[in-house]
Amino acid sequence: MNAQLKEWLRQNFVASPVRRFGWASLLLLIALAVAPTKDFFNEWRHYQRQYRKFISTRPDSLILQHHFTSGIQQIWLPQLAVVDRCTTCHVAVTEKNLQDPASVPEPFRGHPPVAHNVKDWGCVICHRGQGPATELAEAHNATRAWEEPILPARYLESSCGQCHRAPLTGTPQLNQGRNLLGRYGCVHCHTIKLSDGSRVKPTDDPPSLSHIADKTTREWIYAWLKNPYAYAVTTTMPDFKLTDADARDISAFLIANSTPVARDTEGARNPPAEPTAGASLYGESFCASCHAVQNAAGNVVGGDVGPELTRIGNKAKPEWLRAWLRNPRVYNPETAMPHYRFTEPQVSLLTAYLGNKSDSDLLANVRLDAATPEQVAHGKLLVTTYGCAACHEISGIGKPDNFAPELTRVGSKPLTEIVFLPGMKRSTPDYIATKIRQPRSFGAGLKMPQYTLAPAQIDALTTALLAFTEGAHDLPMALTIPAKALANYQPAGNAGELMADLACFSCHAINGRGGDMAPDLSSEGTAVQRPWLEAFLKNPGTLRPALIRRMPKFNLSKSEIAELTDYMMTVYQTPAFDRDSLSSTSFPPAQVEQGRQLFYSKYACQSCHIIDTKADKGYIGPTLTQVGSRLNAAWIYHWLKDPQSLQPGTIEPNRNMNDEDARALTAFLMTQKGSSNQGRKK
Amino acid sequence: MMNNSPSERGKQLPARAPGEKSISYRELLFREMIAIEILAVVLVCLALVWNAPLEQLADPLHTANPAKAPWYFTGLQELLHYFPPFVAGVILPTLIVLALIVVPFFNVNIKDQTLWDRNKSQRLMSLAIIAVALTVLLLHAGAWDATIPVLTISALMALAASWAGRPVGRFQNWLSGKPLSFWIMTWFLMEAVILTTVGALFRGPGWVWVWPWRNS
Amino acid sequence: MEKVERKDADGAIRNPLTALARWGAELKHMSRDRVREPQLGFRHTWYLGALTLGTFTIQLSTGLLLMLYYHPSIPQAYADMKNLQFVVSSGFFLRNLHRWSAQAMVLLVFIHMAKVFYRGAFRPPRELNWVVGSTLLLLTLLLSYTGYLLPWDQTSYWGVTVGSSIMASVPVLGEKLRFVLLGGNTVNANALLRFYVLHAVILPLSVIALIGIHMWRLHQDGGMYSPDSEESEKSEQP
Repeated sequence: MNAQLKEWLRQNFVASPVRRFGWASLLLLIALAVAPTKDFFNEWRHYQRQYRKFISTRPDSLILQHHFTSGIQQIWLPQLAVVDRCTTCHVAVTEKNLQDPASVPEPFRGHPPVAHNVKDWGCVICHRGQGPATELAEAHNATRAWEEPILPARYLESSCGQCHRAPLTGTPQLNQGRNLLGRYGCVHCHTIKLSDGSRVKPTDDPPSLSHIADKTTREWIYAWLKNPYAYAVTTTMPDFKLTDADARDISAFLIANSTPVARDTEGARNPPAEPTAGASLYGESFCASCHAVQNAAGNVVGGDVGPELTRIGNKAKPEWLRAWLRNPRVYNPETAMPHYRFTEPQVSLLTAYLGNKSDSDLLANVRLDAATPEQVAHGKLLVTTYGCAACHEISGIGKPDNFAPELTRVGSKPLTEIVFLPGMKRSTPDYIATKIRQPRSFGAGLKMPQYTLAPAQIDALTTALLAFTEGAHDLPMALTIPAKALANYQPAGNAGELMADLACFSCHAINGRGGDMAPDLSSEGTAVQRPWLEAFLKNPGTLRPALIRRMPKFNLSKSEIAELTDYMMTVYQTPAFDRDSLSSTSFPPAQVEQGRQLFYSKYACQSCHIIDTKADKGYIGPTLTQVGSRLNAAWIYHWLKDPQSLQPGTIEPNRNMNDEDARALTAFLMTQKGSSNQGRKK
Repeated sequence: MMNNSPSERGKQLPARAPGEKSISYRELLFREMIAIEILAVVLVCLALVWNAPLEQLADPLHTANPAKAPWYFTGLQELLHYFPPFVAGVILPTLIVLALIVVPFFNVNIKDQTLWDRNKSQRLMSLAIIAVALTVLLLHAGAWDATIPVLTISALMALAASWAGRPVGRFQNWLSGKPLSFWIMTWFLMEAVILTTVGALFRGPGWVWVWPWRNS
Repeated sequence: MEKVERKDADGAIRNPLTALARWGAELKHMSRDRVREPQLGFRHTWYLGALTLGTFTIQLSTGLLLMLYYHPSIPQAYADMKNLQFVVSSGFFLRNLHRWSAQAMVLLVFIHMAKVFYRGAFRPPRELNWVVGSTLLLLTLLLSYTGYLLPWDQTSYWGVTVGSSIMASVPVLGEKLRFVLLGGNTVNANALLRFYVLHAVILPLSVIALIGIHMWRLHQDGGMYSPDSEESEKSEQP
């Protein structure tokens, strides 16, 4: 049998050269036929077959069938150099019926609703990955031919940031990350250029160190350098991981390098009264609107405009504190702190109160001998090496340019240029996150300091940095949605100087410049009546007792109040209408009564506002008991017609009032003069 | 040979040793076709299984590290690492090409007179001088991998010389009968293989030595 | 001996393939009526010449098909690689085959050269054919090198940059030579176009012509070399 088979094989395969040639040719043909076969059974055909099977069982099968086109699908965006074939397998991204994650498996799920149409933008603009690929692994993973894998969902918001420079409501993580970039001063050292040539600006305000010996002691500087977090948990100052000797030398240099500020060195004239008076003055002055203090439970309470004051007594020398409270602008003309115009007894009270805010342990173990010249010289070298002057002004040391690597295109940094730690995932997002979390783990000689950030903050920062991609930088200008340019508005004249002295812009925004803690004052002159404004500046009160942050009392003189009121009433007017277009007095009683009825029945305003303090229970909007003596009639009328046009983003609903109703309600509200003359707009 | 034109000779059937088979040209053609087809099948299978390498889009701003030439030039690149570009990149390749072209014209191979028949000690001396000089030159440049063939070949040549003229064994006598061109060509091929292998497999970023089985 | 004679009788095997083979043989006037068994054996020539020719044929056919999909422009050249890989039916296969067959061809040409040398097949009267063969080796390397740039990826870009910088180190003429080859001082769009023309037109045509000469001379110089036959010829000489 075996011999027979052998003979048969010999005869058929090897006996004649022609046969051998024939068999070899057949083998070649078969081999050649494998390629088209492989092509026929490729992945995307498989998914399209699966999809057909999947929709055939659904009730909306006919519609889905109708929408489906077989074959390779492609979205081509020549302007962005994007070729996307993702929809070849993700066949139903635009199907609204298939968005349910529970019942529809990938890759057939419809995309959740977003502002953009997938046909106009493709997929990889946001999700990254290899658009031209039609194979699962190639499209989603990093390969030698395409390093950028699919962006992990946790950083997805970064993609929005490539075009949208302004904050979006849908991207809280990105917005937070961008704030942190400014707030933690990352951009002091790392340059980030935007496609329009501008740079990302820091929003922190690191104090000048040129006069630091006035303010604090060498021991405090030493302790602070060793561990900033021990002094203030909210600080944005990072830990440079300095050795004891290095911290000693830097503190020696900073003290030696400091020059005194010419100032009133008057000591305490009035002995401090009982401590509670200091605490209540701290409260009345609304210091907590800007400064935080850590309470006994460890919670940080207060604003984040100014530095945390939990242990200010350890840091600030009493004479410096006194001078600062009298007028902070003497020490730092650029400070966000208002010049409060405290009386001398008040200054003493607050100085004593703040001086007691200290932690006896903080400096307990700091013993520093007198500095030697070598230590000072070494300290200067260290200050230069660690780039302290990139953030802080230090006399004699210039601000270094491009101190740290530029991050303009960090979001698409090639993997080949990254040195990964052993065991680390080889991806750009992981690299960025790890670098922020543990900057020094990448090598011994690195200078980047250790920040204390929560995991959510690291994610947010990574998201913000991932938005700075090559593509974002080279994006056609027509496609960028720029952030609102920072206005450089500056009020003029004496009033302007007064407003700078009072640091109005730290809380209020006017004409696009300023903070968002307090109401925008751009149209204040149109809105309020002059007597009310004068009274308010003299003694600010509130219509919302629940608010912690309020306008502090500045002890303004009569002439100062007149100056400010004149300026605001004249300059800060809306161009939309004339303040005096409606009379603020003499309303027919019938109209007032009609307004009352509209207020209580048709529009049910009392659900949010209070007119009758005994009966009404509306606490959402401001109390309106004195609104007639606070606001102008024209403002109320236009406010009722369209609140958002006067204050974008206000929660007051637009009720689409007709003119007659608006007039009647205005008349009614204008008669609410209240008992007291105090009040606040909205 | 001079009066025997090639075309005439082509028609002749070479003298045949007793017992040898002669086959038609057609069969040779078939055999070669079959060989080609088998090679084609192998290549087709290779093409079905292994994808041709493709990296990221060329980017003049980001240098690939190491920037490697195609594998058949990595030997040259390895030399470039040791010698100035003009020597390794221009002089040596030109010499190699010239040597290849002149090989048949310089080949005075008369079997009866081998390399070691005359002036044996003199020739051994020049061999030693050349080998030492070349080794010193290469080591001076740091090209230790290029000295391997020099040392191997000169050692073999010395051995062959010692075997020449006395019956030692088939292989030994075969080796001692080899002409100079054989040795030069073997040396050249050995250099080519070693340098190419080192350049293609054992060099990593910055052209430092890496083991190919260790992934960066 | 009898068996061989019988095969030669032709009558037993008659089919289109044999006819075609005879045609080929007769057309080229290469048909020596007989070749000796040792010359046919794999162990003497390893069929290296034929195998090299086979890879070159594969290169020609796959190359022609690839030309249908390729644009020598930036960045379309690279996009075409992606299209071949992901969209063109069997495109991946075409590119892979072209690539691997190219590597095989370079390797085979080298081995062919070594084999010819060690067999002594370069000796007169074949010395000029040896030179033709050496030229073919160089052209093969050039073909492979010019093809290396065409995908326009990182490897090809930097590989060619390294190669062309070697050329620039030639004294006096180096920079000019590189300028002529690349159509500029760096590897750019002009270089891609030049390499494409070289790779797809000039070099293949030269190789085809030289292969013709190579084979014609092989035939004229007495067919496949066999040491014994040359020896016997030599001994027959006066």
